[in-house]
Amino acid sequence: MTNDTQNPPIASALIDGLVADLNPVRPMRFANGMLLTGAAALLTIFVSARTLGLRSDLFSGYLNPVYVMSLGLTLLLAIAASVAVIQMSRPHVGNSPSGWGWAAAMAAVLPIGTLVTSAQFYANTGTAGVDGEGGHCLYTGVLLGTMSAAALTLWLRRGAPTSPTRAGWLTGLAGGSIGIFALALYCPYDDIGHIGFWHGLSVVGSALLGRLIVPPLIRW
Amino acid sequence: MKADEASLARLMAMAQTGDRQAYATALAACQSWLRRYFARRIAPCQLDDLVQDTLLSIHRKLASYDPARPFLPWLAVIARYRWVDHLRRAYRADEVALDGDYESFSDEPGVTARISLEQMFTGLPAAQVKAIELVKIDGLSVAEAAATCGQSESLIKVNIHRGLKRLAAMIEKD
Repeated sequence: MTNDTQNPPIASALIDGLVADLNPVRPMRFANGMLLTGAAALLTIFVSARTLGLRSDLFSGYLNPVYVMSLGLTLLLAIAASVAVIQMSRPHVGNSPSGWGWAAAMAAVLPIGTLVTSAQFYANTGTAGVDGEGGHCLYTGVLLGTMSAAALTLWLRRGAPTSPTRAGWLTGLAGGSIGIFALALYCPYDDIGHIGFWHGLSVVGSALLGRLIVPPLIRW
Repeated sequence: MKADEASLARLMAMAQTGDRQAYATALAACQSWLRRYFARRIAPCQLDDLVQDTLLSIHRKLASYDPARPFLPWLAVIARYRWVDHLRRAYRADEVALDGDYESFSDEPGVTARISLEQMFTGLPAAQVKAIELVKIDGLSVAEAAATCGQSESLIKVNIHRGLKRLAAMIEKD
């Protein structure tokens, strides 16, 4: 470090005040953020299992491939969105978390699959192929997602996200994905019509809620 | 005081543990760095306010700096965020000259060029840069800016709106 030719004329009083106000802080490590999110996700699964129970065939070894694939895609989306949120809380020039976009695109296969099969079903029978009993999954998934979304919001409030709007979307997306993953361990439906529509709608609804609720809480 | 990356990173890591002497040194160095960083990209009469706001943000968001990573890219993001926030506020600048030592940031090549405010402007169309410079930095009214650059008044407003939106989206881009 070298001395400059002129000291800045302002803010010495401000700097004195800030220094006097200094308290030790724990740096926001990526691993700590992931641990927090993981703990919130485990709590979500625990609450879901305790209140709703688990699918009877969950450990049977004979699960429907569509169900297993949807579970994997949802988990992948939850991890990717959570990673993006945690990265956004620790900003630096050159930071561009984009993996969540690919995960979201992969998970979008499910609602797209629903659209395709529903269109085929409609062409053959004249009725939509989506069951009308998924409202429970819709709102329960959103409700379960709030635990992880709240944890991520608290993490973001400590951090310095430079795009509160995007952080809001991603927080909702992460929370919703974790919520619907936990719910899927209970939900007995295997068909793509139910999973793609109701579970997908739950994740989209959570993301929308995140967009509406989170940004004002994390602006700095 | 002019600080290098390694010294600032070390000082801020010490500040995170509660070392007040290191923190005072780091903030003084940041203050000097910020004045040069913002020079010519903010109306001169706004410079002190912007530097102080940024120092406050550094203080509030101290935990978001990871000492395992370079310090200046973190500081630049905090500075860019506050700068875009300042540009969004409407004001008419009173022109005053800058002190000579703070007029240029171009004496630090390499990484600093990558995180500079000029780098952000390269991602904007020329018309948006011009509109922002004339109204938000030089302090002209919309009508004066329109007369100066030949854009209509409504186009000036649209270009400022779109330009600031783009700048906000580019805060972490290099």
